[in-house]
Amino acid sequence: MKFTFNWLREYIDTDLEPVRIADHLTMLGLEVDACVPCYPDLTGVVVARIEAVQPHPNADKLVLCDVNVGHERKRVVCGAPNARAGLVTALALPGAVLPAGFTIKPAKIRGEESCGMLCSAKELGITEEQVGIMELSPDLEPGQLLSQALGLVDTMIEVDLTPNRPDCASVLGIAREVGGVIGKRIKPPLQIAEPLPLLTGENLPFSVEVESSTDCPRYAARLVKNVKIASSPWWLQQRLLAVGMRPINNIVDITNFVMLEYGQPLHAFDFNKLAGGRIVVRRARAGESLATLDGAEHQLDSEMLMICDAERPVAVAGIMGGANSEVDGGTCDILLESACFSAIGIRRTAGRLNMSTESSYRFERGVDPQGVPKAMERAVQLMAALGSGEIVAGGFDYSAGVVAPVPIILRRNRTCSLLGMDLTLEQIAAALTCIEIDVERIDDDTLRVTPPSFRVDLEREVDLIEEVARIVGYNLLPTTLPMVPMSFSEQDALRELRKKVADTLTALGFYEAINYSFVSPQHGDLLGLAEEDIRRQTVHLLNPLAEDQSVLRTTLLPGLLENLRRNVNHQSYDVRLFEVGKVFHPQGSRQPEEPFRLAAVISGRRNPGAPILHAGETPADLLDVTGIVAQIFDRLQLGKTITCQAGVATQELPFAEPGTVLAVMGGGKILGWCGAFSQKTLKGFGVKQEAFFVDIDLAALAGISPQSKTFAPLPKFPFVKWDMALIVPEGVAAGEMLSAIDECGEKLIEKAEIFDVFQGKNIETGKKSVAISITYRASDRTLDDETVGKVHKKNIEMMISRFNGQLREA
Amino acid sequence: MPSMHDELLRLKAAAGDELASISQIGELESFRVKYLGRKGEFTLVLRQLGQAPPEDRPRLGQLANEIKQELESAFAEREAILAQSGVGTSQPTVDLTLPGRTLPFGKLHPVTQVMDTVCAIFEGLGFAVAEGPDVEVDFYNFEALNIPPHHPARAMHDTFYISDSLLLRTHTSPMQARIMEKERPPLRMIAPGKVYRCDSDITHTPMFHQVEGFLVDRKISFADLKGVLSVFITKMFAKNTPIRFRPSFFPFTEPSAEVDIGCVICGGKGCRVCKHTGWLEILGAGMIDPEVFKKVGYDPEEYSGFAFGLGIERIAMLKYGITDIRLFYENDLRFLSQF
Repeated sequence: MKFTFNWLREYIDTDLEPVRIADHLTMLGLEVDACVPCYPDLTGVVVARIEAVQPHPNADKLVLCDVNVGHERKRVVCGAPNARAGLVTALALPGAVLPAGFTIKPAKIRGEESCGMLCSAKELGITEEQVGIMELSPDLEPGQLLSQALGLVDTMIEVDLTPNRPDCASVLGIAREVGGVIGKRIKPPLQIAEPLPLLTGENLPFSVEVESSTDCPRYAARLVKNVKIASSPWWLQQRLLAVGMRPINNIVDITNFVMLEYGQPLHAFDFNKLAGGRIVVRRARAGESLATLDGAEHQLDSEMLMICDAERPVAVAGIMGGANSEVDGGTCDILLESACFSAIGIRRTAGRLNMSTESSYRFERGVDPQGVPKAMERAVQLMAALGSGEIVAGGFDYSAGVVAPVPIILRRNRTCSLLGMDLTLEQIAAALTCIEIDVERIDDDTLRVTPPSFRVDLEREVDLIEEVARIVGYNLLPTTLPMVPMSFSEQDALRELRKKVADTLTALGFYEAINYSFVSPQHGDLLGLAEEDIRRQTVHLLNPLAEDQSVLRTTLLPGLLENLRRNVNHQSYDVRLFEVGKVFHPQGSRQPEEPFRLAAVISGRRNPGAPILHAGETPADLLDVTGIVAQIFDRLQLGKTITCQAGVATQELPFAEPGTVLAVMGGGKILGWCGAFSQKTLKGFGVKQEAFFVDIDLAALAGISPQSKTFAPLPKFPFVKWDMALIVPEGVAAGEMLSAIDECGEKLIEKAEIFDVFQGKNIETGKKSVAISITYRASDRTLDDETVGKVHKKNIEMMISRFNGQLREA
Repeated sequence: MPSMHDELLRLKAAAGDELASISQIGELESFRVKYLGRKGEFTLVLRQLGQAPPEDRPRLGQLANEIKQELESAFAEREAILAQSGVGTSQPTVDLTLPGRTLPFGKLHPVTQVMDTVCAIFEGLGFAVAEGPDVEVDFYNFEALNIPPHHPARAMHDTFYISDSLLLRTHTSPMQARIMEKERPPLRMIAPGKVYRCDSDITHTPMFHQVEGFLVDRKISFADLKGVLSVFITKMFAKNTPIRFRPSFFPFTEPSAEVDIGCVICGGKGCRVCKHTGWLEILGAGMIDPEVFKKVGYDPEEYSGFAFGLGIERIAMLKYGITDIRLFYENDLRFLSQF
């Protein structure tokens, strides 16, 4: 809702600065979005009368104007077609700065002196229209400052209205709120005593019929004859322009002005275009259609409320008029409508037609049924006063649907306990009456409150308590801490797990990514997923912003691949990113399943961020990935429960490089995967370097209990390390060699570790050397060489026979 | 065999000369072993004390001790001098201006960092954390919160729909209804999570994060709401952060409030970020509407409570001076590494 400071002051007497008014409104819950001067600074622009015009000796299209600026005459060169003797217009004197930014200077134009510039309204930033230099009223005194002469000093204030306050979609409503704060009453513009002259239905040259009082509680109409369609006077245009509305003609401008003033939308029909001189307010019939004023053609249905004549719809009720009854240059008589329509009905119709207008905005939120005749009266008075037409006596007023406001009981103790502030009944009553809410004292603790008809939002006691708080001022209410019992609620295990996983990954050099939950439907193809793959079954949005955000994700990997592409393209080549987030699996018409997953990508150098001097540029490889996965599970106390297994069938991972995939196994189930992306996948996602992934089902992981943290006594005796180097066929898995040592059951073995794998010089083709260091320790004594030697020898023999190996000679 | 007395004096002189000639700190240890150690020359001489005539023993013993003490203090002095001069470190000097060796580390997303801080503050006040579904049913997202179909407040929520009854939640407030439906007061909960609205520009992304919170018990007042949120703001921002509460409208609270803090960018003087008002809107709040209580079967005459909701990205943008919200979802390392 936009209005101007000067406009507001027509209804409320205040000396406050516009910014103070804006502060008050914001603190009343009418948040001010803008408070800006309406017009540019027009210092140096004056009213001037052209006394004489003569041709420019050196230019056909220019003239020399002899201009009267009060105390002196000036010579000004002008190229406007409407420059003529006797015209009162605007002159920018040397030194004036025009809104476009240039400064006026005395100049020679084609050899002739010009002392200033005659200006159009557009050049002065007053209107958008460019029709030659300004044509001002001949009554204006030359030499006056233009801004003073035209009242061009004003402030536009824009309020961001909440949907519960349609009463403030009017300058009068805003003025009423300001009055509440500064302790003054508003001065209504209507210059007649209430009650209004009766609008009687007798002997009218038109008729009105309302089908349903629910759809249309009130409908008033009056006839204005012999209208003279013309431009509105400047003051009216100025009001509309200041709030961003384009002046059209006197009739339309008056209806718009009164709508802004009272919050009551009005509509003017060309009476002679209404078949049978009739208005019927009814639902549309199947098959009916209407072209509205904006040029759109609408198919109508029985859910939509229409204003019709004897034959057809002529307006969408409360939203927009029809082209078939539009007021235009040939209009002679108009029928003016002021009505109150059901808010729900207008919302429904506006929704179905996908239309939103100043009028529908107000009706959807609720207009004051008692304002209907007032706004009508104000409009016809303006029309009469401006000589726009002859007002036909009498009129029609249907008000069968108007319900008297229901009084509300307001308890003092309830008010005080909800607000946490001790208020007297008098304070409460005063807060309400200052914004024209009538109260009646029932007893020491109770008021009977009758909400005014314009406050459609006040229906319950709590609504009134909010009014009291608003007027008292939220910042004057006390600030306390609640007295509540102590309690400690259970922590969500999955949330804790997610935090722990995230902390572990950041400690391992990963940055956390957060991607949108909606993704492109192309991801299934880019990953090469099989038709029946569960990740192809997606939840679709009915109204996505874009095609590539139209389905909910079923895997986190594509998002991370896209992040990887972005980073590499921006020259961040060493990337470790992870995301912990939900994926979505549809379950028919029910809410989808939303399990949490963990995914990570690794690409670029093994030691991102470490100085190249020390860490080199070695790229990360698959063993970096398996190491990271092992560390995650160690941290989660799951190191012994969860293993990575190679050689598990990988049809679920068509996007991985064959032979690189390990399954993350726990509790006999596959919890996830790690491996390398295939070249094809990387190409599909536009990633120009090798990349590895981890993808784990966190919900399933949460189901596996971590090992308990149990203390083991620290060893008292030292260990000894003995090495063995075996030459084995190259197909032997080193991991199995370690497992074999683990499983042999020798209790002196504490740990076995591979410290070298070698192929090449001095090693037969098809074989490899694996060097293993075994740590021996006894819990009760220091081991001697002889004991260790025996056990070690036995181990070597076991390994040789099991893996078809031989001892490598030093 | 020289007399023990002479032997002691010879040792003293030899040791003194040798100590004076030591110029490398590393050589000190062998000197110590040679003369002063357990098997050193002094010890050997002292061992012979038993063989000296009994009448000479006290004198010789005293002399030996004096010489040993002298040598020990000369040794300490020499050691200190050498250590101070730095002479004697035989390794080549390290160029300490070279970069140190580092291990990689990463960081949590700024949204997660702020979310964790917000949650920790409320958890410290005894609020429990609950999370709900991202895909919500229309009932919990709207109707249970007193937003019936066609209510103008629905226009404030640009909703992504999945079907007639399913949508992506437009706020975390549905958790109010879900929790109250299952549990009885007293309740103190926060519900963090992702929310969605079809809107995208420099200040809006179609997905963002909110934390919803509410407290319900007997006799909870608007003053309590102000108290709890003031504590939150002073913990989240600075101790002296100016706070103001102003009326607003939410269908599920009455009275409703918007909470502003003094602009953290300009300190309240007025700037582009605060639209020259000196204030920044930081959260929405209010007393839970009786209609919401009725829908979950609470008697609004018996219980009252407050609810609040805040946007995490907005707080992160203000805290870190981020100017474009879309950066949060590009996951550019140049961005992520700054927080």
